Amino acid sequence: MLSIKHTLFLVSGSSSFIIFYMGIVNYITSPDKSTGIILLIFSVLVAIGTLLATVYISKSITKPIEKLAYNMAEFSKINKISKKNMIKTNVKKIFELNENFKSMGDKVERTIEVQMEYVKKLKEIDKRKVEFSSMVSHELKTPLVPILGYVQMLQKEDLFGKLNEKQREAVDEIYLSTIKLQRLVGDILTTQKLDLGKLVFEKDNLTVLELLQDIIKEFSPIASERKIKLSTNFNGDVHIFSDKDRINQVFSNLIKNAMDFVSPNTGIIEIGVNDKDTEKLEFFVRDNGTGISSDHQKDIFKKFYQIDTSSSRKRSGSGLGLAICKGIIEGLNGKMWVKSEKDVQTTFYFEIPKKSTIVSIKNISK
Amino acid sequence: MNKMETKSLNILMIDDNEQITKMLSTFLELKKHKCTVVDEGREGLKIIKEGKHDVILLDLAMPEFDGFDVIKDLEKNNLLKNHKILVFTASTITQEELDKLVERGVSAYILKPIDIDILLSKIIETANT
Repeated sequence: MLSIKHTLFLVSGSSSFIIFYMGIVNYITSPDKSTGIILLIFSVLVAIGTLLATVYISKSITKPIEKLAYNMAEFSKINKISKKNMIKTNVKKIFELNENFKSMGDKVERTIEVQMEYVKKLKEIDKRKVEFSSMVSHELKTPLVPILGYVQMLQKEDLFGKLNEKQREAVDEIYLSTIKLQRLVGDILTTQKLDLGKLVFEKDNLTVLELLQDIIKEFSPIASERKIKLSTNFNGDVHIFSDKDRINQVFSNLIKNAMDFVSPNTGIIEIGVNDKDTEKLEFFVRDNGTGISSDHQKDIFKKFYQIDTSSSRKRSGSGLGLAICKGIIEGLNGKMWVKSEKDVQTTFYFEIPKKSTIVSIKNISK
Repeated sequence: MNKMETKSLNILMIDDNEQITKMLSTFLELKKHKCTVVDEGREGLKIIKEGKHDVILLDLAMPEFDGFDVIKDLEKNNLLKNHKILVFTASTITQEELDKLVERGVSAYILKPIDIDILLSKIIETANT
């Protein structure tokens, strides 16, 4: 694209040339030499005048407009009016244009400043809120120690003596609720750490087969107690460099969820790996439980989201499990998703880099 | 189960939470162990230095002279590795920090809240290392 300056000089140059050319033609063809010379001189003067006028227009209009355009472009980049490119002009409209631009820019600048201030304040409030709830959760942990301790002692008949049937039932109920509360407090703390970007990820060389077998071993007793089939079909030799405890935590949450949704005797839970990428490894936990309808699928990773409130009571989870899983997998630079067909099967997938690059999750304190 | 479990241990508990120490000493005494309870760091440090205990259960978060101060003082006097210290905490300590404590010479750690059976086996394990 031609600049304004070049266009201006092109137009004025060619018109000066035409005037000058006509002067020469006049001079040659004119029968009266003196009239010819006057016309020639006149044409030269007009041509020079045109060029001078062009220079003047260029200086007082084109340059300021180009500077203004440059300043506008800069402004859109840095949201600040550049002080180095001052515009001098005595053309009223351009002067006004520039003044309007400056006052608009000042307003935008101030609005952005105010907004940044608000964002900073909000982040500060949010941080303090999370820190407060983190403190609360910690304070909740301390009284849980004696509660859990005494309940456990009551359950041991060799320590506190034999209980009658009703007492035994009551103590067992207290124990279950205490364990649930303890898990909830733990999950809240993990969620807060994820929110504050404070969860630390370790990196180790992991043998995937070993990892899966350990998980199967851990959950086999509960699975066989409930007559649920838990297995893996994976048998390959794959290694990844990632955080074992965190991957275990994700598997553990997913398997516990699956166990709550499959029916005893016919329940099948399968865990495994799809190794189809050189960079990433896809893990999955599949069950033949009740499934999740497509309406709910996008929401299940939200904190405390429960699909069926009437049956949630008998479930062991805190309502934070999937949010934690997703947070951990994102912390390991991976992603997590679900595919489910109602009453047929549900599969939770998560994919993590084989050479784990840890991203620190949004750090609110900064 | 075995000889280790039946041997009576002399346990020192340093924790400012009375409910916790009362519960734990009740449990440990029923399990035939001897418990000494101290509710603050400075006094605890003095008793640690007497060297009469098989295991020291040390809380980290205490007002004024806390568990970290106890560890620091023992470290300064080259005494940390002479005592079997089991850190027992509910504080916002990271895994890394806990591992660092073990590197410095703390025998083991355990996080609150905890299953009392696991705690007992950890105490016995620490005493026998």
